[in-house]
Amino acid sequence: MERPLSPFMFPMWYRFQITSALSILHRLTGIGLAVGSILLAWWLVAVAAGGQLFAATHAFIASPIGIILLFLWSVAFFYHLCNGIRHLVWDAGYGFELRQAYRSGYAVLAATVLLTVLAWLYVLLA
Amino acid sequence: MTNAPYSADTTALRDETALRRVRHFGSARNGLQEWRLQRLTAVAMIPLGLYFAASILRLATSDQLGAAAWLASPIPALLVILFVLAGLTHAFIGLRSVLLDYVHTRARLLAAELLVRAAAIILGAASVLAVLKLFLGR
Repeated sequence: MERPLSPFMFPMWYRFQITSALSILHRLTGIGLAVGSILLAWWLVAVAAGGQLFAATHAFIASPIGIILLFLWSVAFFYHLCNGIRHLVWDAGYGFELRQAYRSGYAVLAATVLLTVLAWLYVLLA
Repeated sequence: MTNAPYSADTTALRDETALRRVRHFGSARNGLQEWRLQRLTAVAMIPLGLYFAASILRLATSDQLGAAAWLASPIPALLVILFVLAGLTHAFIGLRSVLLDYVHTRARLLAAELLVRAAAIILGAASVLAVLKLFLGR
């Protein structure tokens, strides 16, 4: 019999649970943010270099793809930040009861939406 | 002094049998150090990240002069360097733990780890150099 192996149990073999979904999302956003650090280093180098490199970089960021990437970066960042704080609370030994884990999970999602909306309101209104 | 035979629960510090047994399951040395560094950089990035996110979303679409002036002033230059270093350290430890979960041959794991480590070092050095150039050249 072909048995499923641990990291690939979800969602084929496990019922959907917000706790495991958020856990996977934490890893995915972490990987995404790590990839995003390439763009950050590129932007910093472009600002330092100026001239044509900055013009090309600026055109890319201001393009629809650039704005979408920036938006996705902000969502991933705020999610990873909020859920990371949730992890730090667990590391300190609190919040392991199932009810608390679910509640903190929903709180993380709400805080992510709130921070993303606030950040972009700040950008668009400033 | 009699030579006591090895028992399953021997925990002497330099007991090679015990050490080998532990190594079989993973690191026998600096697992906690890495775990702790991951948390330290996470805590550091709560204020650094909020500051950086607020700044970068506003500056990303600004012109070169605006961005250069921002990075040339001392507090942004300092905080951006700290954010990049803490972030890349945090990212490297996180990516390494993902690799450990999904890459199951020793050669591939070593190659992937070296690649991610090299990328983190190059990106970190390039970012710091860029900020320093703007900061020192103002």
